[in-house]
Amino acid sequence: MNDMKTPDMNTPDKADVAKTDVAKADVTKASVTKDTVATGTGTGTGTGTGTGAADAAGEAQPVFGVRNLWKVFGSKADTVPGNAEYAGLSQAELRTRTGCTAAVRDVSFDVHKGEVFVVMGLSGSGKSTLVRCLTRLIEPTSGTLEIDGEDVLAMDKNRLRELRRHRAAMVFQHFGLLPHRSVLDNVAYGLEIQGMPKAERRERAAAMVAKVGLEGLEGRRPGQLSGGQQQRVGLARALAADPEVLLFDEPFSALDPLIRRDMQEEVIRLHSEEGRTMVFITHDLSEALRVGDRIALMRDGEIVQLGTPEEIVGAPADDYVRDFVRDVPREQVLTVRTAMKPGACDASEHPDALAPTAVVSDAIESVARSGRAACVVEDGRCLGQVDQSALLRVVAGLDREEVAA
Amino acid sequence: MSAVVTPNPPSTQTEVAKEPARAGARSALSHPVARRLLPLAVAVVVLAPLAAVLWGSGSWPHALTVDIKTPLDDAYNWTVRNRDTNPVFLYGLLHLSNWADSSVSSVTDLLENLGWFPVITITVLLSWRIGGLRDRRGLKLAGVTFAAFAVCGLLGMWQSTMETLALMLVAVVVSAVVGALLGLGAGLSDRFERILRPFLDTMQIMPAFAYLLPLVVVFDIGVPSALIATIIYAAPPMARLTALGLRGADPGVMEAAASLGTSPVQRLLTARLPLARKEILLGLNQTIMMSLSMVTIASVIGAGGLGEEVFQALSTVDVGKALAAGIPIVLLAVWFDRLTSVAGDRLGAGAAPAGLRWLHGWRAWTVSAVSAAALSVAGWMMFIADWPDTWNVDIASPVNNAVDWFTSHMASGVPVLGGTRTWADNFTLWILDPLRTGLTDSPWWLLVLLAAVLAFLAGGWSACLTAALAMAGIGVFGVWNHSLDTLSQAIAGVVVTLVLGFAIGIVAARVSWIERALRPVLDTMQTLPQFIYLIPVVAMFNVGRSAAVAAAVLYALPAVVRITTQGLRQVDGATMEAARSMGASTFQQIRQVQLPLARPALMLALNQGVVLVLAMVIVGGLVGSGALGYDVVYGLEKSQLGTGMTAGIAIVLLGLVLDRTTQRTGKRSAAR
Repeated sequence: MNDMKTPDMNTPDKADVAKTDVAKADVTKASVTKDTVATGTGTGTGTGTGTGAADAAGEAQPVFGVRNLWKVFGSKADTVPGNAEYAGLSQAELRTRTGCTAAVRDVSFDVHKGEVFVVMGLSGSGKSTLVRCLTRLIEPTSGTLEIDGEDVLAMDKNRLRELRRHRAAMVFQHFGLLPHRSVLDNVAYGLEIQGMPKAERRERAAAMVAKVGLEGLEGRRPGQLSGGQQQRVGLARALAADPEVLLFDEPFSALDPLIRRDMQEEVIRLHSEEGRTMVFITHDLSEALRVGDRIALMRDGEIVQLGTPEEIVGAPADDYVRDFVRDVPREQVLTVRTAMKPGACDASEHPDALAPTAVVSDAIESVARSGRAACVVEDGRCLGQVDQSALLRVVAGLDREEVAA
Repeated sequence: MSAVVTPNPPSTQTEVAKEPARAGARSALSHPVARRLLPLAVAVVVLAPLAAVLWGSGSWPHALTVDIKTPLDDAYNWTVRNRDTNPVFLYGLLHLSNWADSSVSSVTDLLENLGWFPVITITVLLSWRIGGLRDRRGLKLAGVTFAAFAVCGLLGMWQSTMETLALMLVAVVVSAVVGALLGLGAGLSDRFERILRPFLDTMQIMPAFAYLLPLVVVFDIGVPSALIATIIYAAPPMARLTALGLRGADPGVMEAAASLGTSPVQRLLTARLPLARKEILLGLNQTIMMSLSMVTIASVIGAGGLGEEVFQALSTVDVGKALAAGIPIVLLAVWFDRLTSVAGDRLGAGAAPAGLRWLHGWRAWTVSAVSAAALSVAGWMMFIADWPDTWNVDIASPVNNAVDWFTSHMASGVPVLGGTRTWADNFTLWILDPLRTGLTDSPWWLLVLLAAVLAFLAGGWSACLTAALAMAGIGVFGVWNHSLDTLSQAIAGVVVTLVLGFAIGIVAARVSWIERALRPVLDTMQTLPQFIYLIPVVAMFNVGRSAAVAAAVLYALPAVVRITTQGLRQVDGATMEAARSMGASTFQQIRQVQLPLARPALMLALNQGVVLVLAMVIVGGLVGSGALGYDVVYGLEKSQLGTGMTAGIAIVLLGLVLDRTTQRTGKRSAAR
C-alpha cells in the first residue's frame, strides 16, 4: 500500500474549482504546484487502480511510516496481533473469543511530506484511535511507527514529550480548550509548556490568532466564543508550536454545516499557504474528498482502500467502498484525465484547453459553452480530448467498468 | 381506547381460568422483592423463635449486654491521671493541644488588639475586592459585610464574635489544607480514594455531637478539643469535593494538554487543578459553613464565643439573650456563604477583565490592602480599640417581653386552634409517646429484624449486615431504651419533614414563582448552624421532645424541599409533554410521571432527611429532648464520660442503621 501513487496536489481545491471560474482555479493551482515541486511530489496519474508507477517522490522519506500497527483493547490484548487464528474474525467474533476489541488491525501506510492524508470511516472504525497512536496518546499494541525515520515506539518519556511539543500538534473534535484562560493564553499554552518566556510566547500567539482570523477576541474566554471560533483557537494553538505535522481528529464534526464549510476552506487555505503535512480524521466523505490528497478508508479497524479521492470514487476496492461513495457527484471528483480519449489532436492551437487535473464538471461547462470537444493540455502538449459523450459517461457512471478493467 | 381492545381467543381464557390459585401463589413468590427476601425469611424462621425462647421478647435482654460504661470511665480516669506524665501525651498530644491553644489565642489576640474599626474596615474592603471592585456584586457584598459586623457590635457581641471568628479562621485554614491534601490524593490515586471513601461516607452521616466526646477524653474540655473536633468535622467536604473536581476534569482538555507534550506536573498545575477550581471553592464553602456550625456546637466542650452565649442562654430558657447571640451567628453564616459563592460565580463567569486596570488583578489587591491599612490606622487613632458600650442595643429584654406575650397569648388557650405549646403537648402525648412505647414494647429481635429487612431491600446484603449489627450493638452496649426514645423522635421528625417537604417541593416544582420566592429562604436556612434552630423553637414550643422534633424538621426541611424540587424539575421534559399531550390531569402528571421518574431524587431526599433529622434530634438534648442527646450533654457536664461516650457510640450506630435502611446502593454508584 505504501507504494501508492503520489498525491495530486490540486485535489483539495477541486470542489471550489467546480464553483469558481477557471482563471481562479489556475491561480490556485499555480501556487499549489510551487509547493508540490518544493516537496518533490508529482501529479497523480489517475489510472485509478492505486498501483500506478510511483515517481522519485514516493521514495523520499515519509513523515509518518506506519507498518502493521495494532491497537487492541482488553486484558489479553497482546495475544491478538499477528495471531493467524484470529486473523479473519469480525469484531464481534473476536470479542466473544478473546474478550478484546481490536480498534486498529494491522494498519500500514505512509504519510508523505506536504500532503493532506485523510483517514475516514464511520464511528467505531478505529480512526480516532489510529491518530492517537501516532503520538502515542494511546499506546499501540504492536507494529512499527516512524516519524522521519525515527522509531516513535522506542522513544522514552522525554523524547516523546519533545515530539508532542515540537513535531506533531493535534486539533480535537471537542476543542480541548482551557476554560479559565483567555484565547491568547490558550493559544500560547503549548509554548508555555515548552518553557518559552511570556512576552515572546504572547507575541507569537497573537500572530497565530491573527492568522486564524480571530483578531480582537484575544481577551475572550473560550466559553464566550462560538463553536467555530473555539475550533479556530484550537487550530491556532496547534499552529503556534510550528509543528511538522498537524493531526486533526474530526475537527469539524461538532460544528454546524455552514461553519464547517468555512473551517474546511480555512484548512485548505492554510495548507496551500504553508504546505504543512496534515493527517485529517473525519467520518464525513464529502469533507474527506474536499480536503484530502489521499484517503485511507477504514472499516472495523482495517484500511479497506487507500488512494486519491479520484481512485476511491472512480475505482472502489470493494462493495463496502462502492456503497460508501455511491452518492458522490462523480463529475466533481473525477478529472478529465480519466474521462478523455487519449491521443493528440494535431492542432497547434488549443482553444478552451483544459488542464488534465480539471474535474469533469468544469469540462462539462466548457464543452457545453463551446459546443465541441475540448483538448486536455499539459505543458503545451495535447494529451487527448473530451467530448460530450465522454463526459456524460462519467456522469452516468458508465466509465466505472472500464476503469476497473 | 376501548375500541382498540380485541377479544382474547376463548382457548386462552379457559386456560387462564383453570389455574388462578396456582398463578396467585407463583406470582407472590416470583415478585422480585419476595424472592430477594426468601433467604432472609428462612434465616428468621429458624433464628427468631430461638432468640425469643432463649432471651425473651421484651426489651433488649440483660444477658446480652456488655458493660462498656465502666471501662470507659476507667479509661477516662486513667487519661486524666496520666495526661501530664504519659509520654504519648507529653510528646505527642500535648504539643498538638498547645499548638491549638496558642494558634487560636494568637488569632484572637490579633483581632482584639486590632480593634473593631480596623477589623470592620479590613473585612469590608477584602469582601469588596473578592466581589470585584468595579462590580455591583462587590459593592453589595461589602454592604453585607459592613452590616453583619456592625450588628454583631451593636448587639454587644463583638468580643464573642471575635472569639468565634478566631476559632473558625484557624479551623478553616487547617481543615481546608488537610481536606485539599486528602482530596488531592483521592483525586489522583484510585487506591487512596478507595481507602478514603468509606471514612468520608461514614463521617458524613455522623451527627456533630458524636465527635465531641472522644476528643474531650484526650484533650479535656477547652479550645483544643473544640478546634480539633471542628477540623475533623469540617475537612471531609473539602476532601470530597476536591477529589470530585480533580476526577471530573474534562478528559478532552486533559488529552489536549497531553498532546501538547505536558509533563504530569504541568498537567496537574495548568489543567487539572484549574479545571477543578469551582468544586474546590464549593468545598471551601462547605468547610466554612460546617466549621461555623461545629464551632457553635462545640461551645458544649468549651469553645467559647457566640455558641457559648447561646448555650448559656438556652439552658436558662432566656430566648432574648439567645437571640442576641444567635443573630451574629446567622449574619456570619450569611456573610461567609455570600463571600464564597460570589467568588465562585466570578470564577465561573470567566469574563474578560475590563475597565481601569487598577480595579482588577493583583493591583486591585494592592489597592484594597493599602486603603484598608490606611483607613485602619486612621480609625485606630480616632477611636478606642474596644467596642464602645454606649453603642450597644439591648434586644434581650424586648425580645423576652415579646416571647412572654407570645407565651401568654398564643402558646395555649387560643380558641379552636389551641396554640403552639398546646400543639407541642398534644404532639408529645398522641404521637411521640405512643411511638416510643410501641418501639420499646416491641420484641427486640423484631426491631433488629426490621432494620435488617429494610436495609436489605435498600442496599443488599452488606447494608443488611451493617444495619443488623449496628442495631444489635445498640442493645449490647446497654442503651437500648434511650436509643429507641431518640429513634421515636427521629421517626416522627422524618415523617413530618417528608410530608411537608414533598408537599412544598411538589408545589415549588410546578409553580415557578413559589420556587423563586423559596430559593433565597432555603439558601439561607441551609447555611445556618444547627444551634440556631433551637432558639425560635424554644420560644414557640418551650423545651421538650416536641421542641427538638420541631427543630429537626426545620433543620431538615430545606434540604428535602430542594432535592424534591430539583428531582421533579429534572424529569425529562419530553416525557412530561407526552403525558400532557395525552390529556393527563395535573394530578395524573404528578402521580404517574413526575413522582415515578423522580424516584431516585425522592430516595435521596429521604436519606438526607433522615440523616439531618437524627443529627438535630440529638442536638435537641440541649433543649430537653432527653435520650441520647441528653446523655451526651450530661456526660460532658458531670464528667460522666462513660455515659456520654456510650451515648455517642449509640448515636453513631443509630446513624448507621438509619442511613443504611434508607440509602439506595444505586445512588452511590450514580454519585461516583
